[in-house]
Amino acid sequence: MPEMTAEDRELQEKVHDGFLVESEADMTENYKQALITQLLVQGDTELISAPAYFMAARDAPTTNTMVSATAIIQDELGHANIAYRLLEDLGVDRHWILYEREPHEFKHPYGFDQPLENWAELVVANGFYDRAGITLLGDVHRNTSYGPLKRALVKVDLEENFHLRHGEVWMKRLSTSGPEAREKLQDAVDWMFPMGVEWFGMPDDKKRHTTQLDFKLKGMSNDELRQTWLQAVVPLCDELGLDVPARVDEESGEVELTYDFPVQYDPEEKKWLFDEPISWDEVWDRWRERGPMNEEYVNSVRRSRFEIEEMLAA
Amino acid sequence: MSDGFDVDRIYEVFARQKREDRLEHVGAITAPNASLARVYAWQTYDEATWFEMVVAPRDSFEAVNREEAPFTLEPREEGAAT
Ligand SMILES: [Fe+2]
Ligand SMILES: [Fe+2]
Repeated sequence: MPEMTAEDRELQEKVHDGFLVESEADMTENYKQALITQLLVQGDTELISAPAYFMAARDAPTTNTMVSATAIIQDELGHANIAYRLLEDLGVDRHWILYEREPHEFKHPYGFDQPLENWAELVVANGFYDRAGITLLGDVHRNTSYGPLKRALVKVDLEENFHLRHGEVWMKRLSTSGPEAREKLQDAVDWMFPMGVEWFGMPDDKKRHTTQLDFKLKGMSNDELRQTWLQAVVPLCDELGLDVPARVDEESGEVELTYDFPVQYDPEEKKWLFDEPISWDEVWDRWRERGPMNEEYVNSVRRSRFEIEEMLAA
Repeated sequence: MSDGFDVDRIYEVFARQKREDRLEHVGAITAPNASLARVYAWQTYDEATWFEMVVAPRDSFEAVNREEAPFTLEPREEGAAT
């Protein structure tokens, strides 16, 4: 964590008293760097969800469902555009963001480095990952001290709720559509649920204090966000008769994982090795190594730009 | 306004849903010319059925009551990437 100056502490106090930062002139360098990192994670997650969803949308069962999946993909590109636009106001070069980074330098979660191979996986992604997006961005929307981001998220929240509904309605539908559809749905849930649990990062007892919280760039801690997600996702799976390695405590309503989080993942088999608990250092190693679709997804969103540049240069 | 492709400019996007509404600031996009700015704005901010949407380059805004109005501010430095 960066060293905080007296100006940083003054700004931290101001934003916790309700002050909204409106432009660079209101920021300290540490505030700005923390905001840049947050917006890069946000923008990259939106951007890479597009090719991931597109891969699965090709398996859409009808023309109508293809249309709704494509509408979601277009929303995600718009969301990425909005985050990157905000970054430009902080002096971050758009061309660098999109075209000059190596695929492994993109900051989206490990879950979006995985292939989404059928319709069941797409709708579970909408049900689990868009739910994670709403949980994270909803918290940012309510709490962020950066005014331009707070306003930009009104639109994003609205559309994410549509994606979530798409996911949940289709999960319900597949869960009541006969054994073959049910099995595909359960298979998707099996590898995608723990992916969602990991989405929220290190637990609070490993990393409690964060610059993001100090500057009020978000309001909830990793564990609080993870618990919010679990309390939405686990009851849904229970209702649909889907197995997940977690249970709801009847009295408190809190959700408890029934496996030794975190565990190792085998991306080739799309299987979690539940009897192989690992340390957070090992999780970080796996994240840094990136998943099987990392390069292909990143390159697929920028391939045509290079082709057009070559055409123009020819 | 030229329709060139050389320099990206920031365009602020304003819209209203109903005839009687005020124009509201809904966001911004970056585009190399006004025609593309209109397309990008319409595609990006499609969360409502707008009665009217307009775009204007950020650098065309005149600050009225304070020197450092948000729309007229330039980033402090180039390429502050981490
Ligand atoms: Fe999104
Ligand atoms: Fe989404």
